[in-house]
Amino acid sequence: MIPAKYNLRNLRVRWMTTLLTVVSTGLVVWASVLCFGLTDGLQYALKVTGHELDLIVLRKGATDEIGSGIEQKVAREVASLPGIAKDEQGQPQCSVEFVTILTKPRRNNGGTVNLIVRGLESVGRTLRPGFRIVAGRDIEPGKFEAMTSRSMAARFENLAIGEKIEVNRQYFEVVGYYEAAGSAAESEVWTDLRDLTIARKTPAAVSAVCLRAESPEQRDALVALLADDKRFQLNAIRETKYFEDQMNQANAVQYIGYIIAGFLIFGAMFAAANTMYAAVASRAREIGTLRALGFPQGSILLSFLFESVVLCSLGGLIGCLATLPFNGLSTGTSNQFSEITFSFRFGPRVLAQGVMLALVMGLLGGILPAIRAVRLNIITALRER
Amino acid sequence: MSNLNADETVVVVRDVCKEFHRDQLTIPVLSGINLELSTGDYLALMGPSGSGKTTLLNLIAGLDRPTSGDVIVCGQNLGQSSEGELSKWRSRHVGFIFQMYNLIPVLTAYENVELPLTLTSLSRRDRDDHVKAALEVVGLQDRMDHYPRQLSGGQEQRVAIARAIVTDPTLLVADEPTGDLDAKSAAEILDLMHRLNTEKEFRKTIVMVTHDPNAADRARRILHLEKGLLVSEVTDNRTRATVQ
Repeated sequence: MIPAKYNLRNLRVRWMTTLLTVVSTGLVVWASVLCFGLTDGLQYALKVTGHELDLIVLRKGATDEIGSGIEQKVAREVASLPGIAKDEQGQPQCSVEFVTILTKPRRNNGGTVNLIVRGLESVGRTLRPGFRIVAGRDIEPGKFEAMTSRSMAARFENLAIGEKIEVNRQYFEVVGYYEAAGSAAESEVWTDLRDLTIARKTPAAVSAVCLRAESPEQRDALVALLADDKRFQLNAIRETKYFEDQMNQANAVQYIGYIIAGFLIFGAMFAAANTMYAAVASRAREIGTLRALGFPQGSILLSFLFESVVLCSLGGLIGCLATLPFNGLSTGTSNQFSEITFSFRFGPRVLAQGVMLALVMGLLGGILPAIRAVRLNIITALRER
Repeated sequence: MSNLNADETVVVVRDVCKEFHRDQLTIPVLSGINLELSTGDYLALMGPSGSGKTTLLNLIAGLDRPTSGDVIVCGQNLGQSSEGELSKWRSRHVGFIFQMYNLIPVLTAYENVELPLTLTSLSRRDRDDHVKAALEVVGLQDRMDHYPRQLSGGQEQRVAIARAIVTDPTLLVADEPTGDLDAKSAAEILDLMHRLNTEKEFRKTIVMVTHDPNAADRARRILHLEKGLLVSEVTDNRTRATVQ
């Protein structure tokens, strides 16, 4: 094999073209990994929200909570159905909830976007994954109080602790921040169920019932029961399935990201190929010499492929490292009706995708120049100046 | 050091023709060449440009294949060998000395000389011994860490010679080895090649292409080619025969 130092030193000698190729590859990997991290964060936010045993009960025909309306009396009857898990106090883990959409301004003149305000009972909070209060305190019923996540408070006006959010001329004071394991619940504002229905002047109607079944079998039995019972006119959906459907948006972002990344990669591959073609052309005599000394064609091929891969890997490494400052940074996107906040996630999988991208760019960008190097006629190559 | 016995036939060129094709044209470069070289021979190939001397050298070195006829070097029929077999064969049996030295610019003198040894199964320590010995033969052991750009032309050619002999090949092929050197350096290189040919320790068979009569004078045999034909042969500075 041709020693690796031959390639590494050549990269150093041609430092300007090396630098330009590394920068272009790095930019592509950076943009692609940002895109992957964005979709991964969005998917995570939606995925983590769903619990295997949880059901969302909506009005028959409704596909989401916003389009659903249930009589509160009927919703309470659902709570009495068998198969619902009980909490430590023996109360059913079943939360009657009312969801409304408000148009609220973002901070820093970021325009207005839809904001989900959810009225729920205290049991509803325990149904959210990893729920915990991280600042302030929990809301108290009857006091028109609200709570939200830190990221929402940072993104929207009037959502910081001590500020007041208006719902139908009724002001709800924000008294605390919560976390819910980075799930979609962190994109909402929570109030007490009764306070919110009073403010919205719909005291008899709610949007959905969220409940946790005792077991997978009980969950399936509840789904069947609610679907079959004509009294209820309800439809129970597994929470995981519900959020999977919501994830279509994330998938669209991902596909768009892949398409953009594809174009960028194509361009970067040309840059890498161009650099390597130039390398082959300027080192024809060296290639001829190596072949004359007895290095087989396979060695030449591997040597130039290795050089191309190193070149792109350097870019890939820099591109991946450059995304790390964005890790955990919150951002948001529209999710059907409202804004959902989530964090960039650059876990090992996303970074591995970035590195793989760089390797693929190196291999595909380097293969044709490497083949050209292999096909050089030894005698012609030795005559090159 | 040589792995062939004295007076063993190293090179057999039998009825060799070589043609090149350019567009629709067939250009004959060598026609019916016959030649034999034994261990320790030192052959200078002379002739005007386009006479076919470098083509003949390339055929003997296994860089090219004849259109017809046989080129048998160190027992291997090169015309019937695959590209891979030729690569392997060259690494074992041939040392190359080029007019422009052809050192790898990003490698030091030591690393350039070591390069052919990376194709062998020698350990790092053995490689080190071989490289240092080769550099000592050419008198450049104190320049082993220098890059080619830090050496004079003569020194570069000596490093190239060290690279050519480091694997102890049977045959050395040299294409205008003094063509890019001043007279003093050229004389040093020719002295070195003479040593490699005559000293019992080396006894290399050398085939050299040259335009320089002084360089050719150092050879035991001189072959003159014209238009692809072997027109005269001088052995030990005595005209022995006119071929064809």
